[in-house]
Amino acid sequence: MKKSPDVNHSTYANSIEPNDISSSEQEDTVPPTLGHTLDNFKDCVDLVYRTFPELHVSIVYFEHLIGNDEFTRDVIEPLTHIQQYQAQELFKRSQFRPITDSKELIKGILNGEVAIFHYANVYLVNVSKPKSRSIQQSETETIITGPHDSFIETATTNISLIRKRVKSSHLKVLKLQVGEITKNDVYILYIDGLVNMDYVKELVKRIELIEVDAVHDGNMLIQYIDDYPNSLFPLFSTTERTDAAVSKLVAGRIVGILDGSPSVFTAPSSFFEFFASPDDYYQRWLLGSSLRILRFLALVITLSFTALYVSITTFHYEMIPESLLLIITESRSRVPFPPLYEALLMELTIELLREAGARLPTKIGQTIGIVGGIVIGQAAVQAGFTSNILIIAVASSAIASFVIPSYVMSASIRLIRFGLIIMAGILGDLGIAIGIAYIVIHLSGLTSLTSSYMTPVSPFNFKDWRDMFIRAPFWAMRGRPSQSKSPNKLKTGMKK
Amino acid sequence: MKEKLYPFHVSLLVYMIQTGVIIFSLPRLLAQHMGYNGWITLFAYTGVVMLNIYLISLVYRLSNGKSIFQIIEQALPKVIVLPLYFILVSVWTMLGCLVAKQYVFIFQAFVFPTTHPMFMKFLVDVLAYLLIIKGIYNISKAATSFFWLVIWTLLLLLFFVKNFQWVNLTPFFFQESTDFFLGGLSIFSSFLGYELALLLFPYVEKNKSFIKAVHIGNLLTAITYITVSLTCFGFYSFNQLQGMKYPVIDLLAQIKFPFVERVDNIIFSLFLFTTLITIVAYIWAAKETVHRVIPRANSKWLAGTIVGIAFAVAWIPDVLNEVELWIKYLGYMEIGIAFGLPLFLLIILLLSKGGKKHV
Repeated sequence: MKKSPDVNHSTYANSIEPNDISSSEQEDTVPPTLGHTLDNFKDCVDLVYRTFPELHVSIVYFEHLIGNDEFTRDVIEPLTHIQQYQAQELFKRSQFRPITDSKELIKGILNGEVAIFHYANVYLVNVSKPKSRSIQQSETETIITGPHDSFIETATTNISLIRKRVKSSHLKVLKLQVGEITKNDVYILYIDGLVNMDYVKELVKRIELIEVDAVHDGNMLIQYIDDYPNSLFPLFSTTERTDAAVSKLVAGRIVGILDGSPSVFTAPSSFFEFFASPDDYYQRWLLGSSLRILRFLALVITLSFTALYVSITTFHYEMIPESLLLIITESRSRVPFPPLYEALLMELTIELLREAGARLPTKIGQTIGIVGGIVIGQAAVQAGFTSNILIIAVASSAIASFVIPSYVMSASIRLIRFGLIIMAGILGDLGIAIGIAYIVIHLSGLTSLTSSYMTPVSPFNFKDWRDMFIRAPFWAMRGRPSQSKSPNKLKTGMKK
Repeated sequence: MKEKLYPFHVSLLVYMIQTGVIIFSLPRLLAQHMGYNGWITLFAYTGVVMLNIYLISLVYRLSNGKSIFQIIEQALPKVIVLPLYFILVSVWTMLGCLVAKQYVFIFQAFVFPTTHPMFMKFLVDVLAYLLIIKGIYNISKAATSFFWLVIWTLLLLLFFVKNFQWVNLTPFFFQESTDFFLGGLSIFSSFLGYELALLLFPYVEKNKSFIKAVHIGNLLTAITYITVSLTCFGFYSFNQLQGMKYPVIDLLAQIKFPFVERVDNIIFSLFLFTTLITIVAYIWAAKETVHRVIPRANSKWLAGTIVGIAFAVAWIPDVLNEVELWIKYLGYMEIGIAFGLPLFLLIILLLSKGGKKHV
């Protein structure tokens, strides 16, 4: 930043001394003074402190949190063009917010505002413009057709992306804060008249009750506020896609944005919602519906394929038709392990490959895929460690798990699969049935923001099935989802 | 506010309590006890059940949303109430426990001859416990999900359209029937489960749709039984049907796909879901009754104790025939409860109403 010649400039030098966070940040009785402020930010070398001696003015701010243009326009320019007797008049302008509480002052500086000290008076000027990346495509939720912009780590930018799409004064934004140290802003967005306010009150209550030093991501935040923190299933859906968030808002759901996270959460959510993708709506309804059905088929495959292999090859050989029996028996003849160990070994290998691929840069990740998928797979079969058929079963269930659009849900289901494989190894088909029964019992008891997680299967609502298991034509989807308990149940008739 | 049971859920809950593993032997029971074209008697059974539900509806109407326990306790002294509750709890617990054992025994006979049945029973009981402690609202939610996982199997009957022979049905009706009364009671016990609607009064919305839902649940059961039995009567000859222990399992064993055959294993596994709801509903009913006697007892502990007792009792019968004999007698007792309890409640309600008018 260009520095004016008539302005003294200094920053605080390092002087490492232990400081009690709770006492320095939580004092609220101390009047806002320059000394107290500088004392609070002791050892913060990034803090900028400037003085204008001829005006008896001092300013304090974090350079990397402010916008240079805004700072020059709203602070430097006015201060360099006035005389001392004009200062009092200048600070009457609306951009100078008088501050009487030291806690508010500290908070303002941390939020990228410039603190101005003039004799005993203190003002804050909002020139905040924290550095952030530009709006890009989401890497975790890619789609083929449809809008490609996605949320970034700056909450205000994310809100602007939503406002750009919902040009309505009914779109309301509440601001809350989480993290005793990090003090992250959380914005709760909803459309007044479409949302059930009981849900909003419940969500706000839960966020206000969070007591933790830091929350780093939206996916982390929802674990503090969901109904069953010990469940394996994600109870609030998260998205990085702006169009998905807007569609949830219009459906009467609530959208929550955590500053510093591109993952925006929506509530209440249903188990079946995790199998929908925004581009289902951008394609012809028959295609969209086929894709939805394919995803549920993928769920069945990913859960049961390997488990069925284990069950059939361990207990139920009679289920294999004669023509297939020879192939399977031949394929298994060289394998020295029981099917359960063989399957667990391969599933574990696949999970290792997936995790390695996810952690490595894209180019090396591809190599891992080739090495793991082709080389290890081929070698394992040739060495007699595993059968060809199992490789097909494991690979099919792995691919099927990637068909599920939500990464969090897909990961949960992959873990559950291990349980089913073990049950199949112990009790065959009955073991799989016991496993599925346990999953259904668990799911039936879950709620998302107090509403049933299994909606629209139970409580049953057939109308919702048209936008859950299939993607019906738009004329057939006139109602908002029953789970949102919206006071305005119909999507149509809004022009009247 | 406590969530109420929706009529749709009541229908499916009743259906899921009613249907169980007995469906696999029902066509044989019909052939043995009712003779040629015995499946037609299912219409009569459905009618009798509807009559029984009508009795329940009268109780429901007069009870004004009160639970049956409140009705009984208001009218009778504890000396009568406690033995009555003891009988109800015993029958319901035993039914729940033996239905589970029967399912496990059949599975063991087909697939796991060397696995100890009580190990499988233990796993099923753990599932039942986990569901019971969630309360009736979640039980009904689980029943709805289980319903969708099971009901599609009815479509498999389409495989037998081609091999269905009308000539197997013969023009004779009820020839060679044996034991029309006691055999009839055994068949009627396959419809049991609807009587637990008596315990749902406090959990449903106060309107007529509740009773309608119970009727719909029963009709769904009737349709399932009739379709399955008719298919068996048309597929097998009468003599074949009489000689098979579980004709429906044998029927399913005929189905062949290019990639899988003998799907009876999978289908029978899926019937764990209906069996589970039957077990859960009866043990839940027993738990509710015990809760009236010990109102301060922790619900989870109570459920755990009843499931534990049921598990212990299930050690006694060693073979499937013994279990089926126990179930037969318990079925007779439960039929007595299904008709007797609503009649008894009606008498109490009418007397107390008459008493009030008199005052």
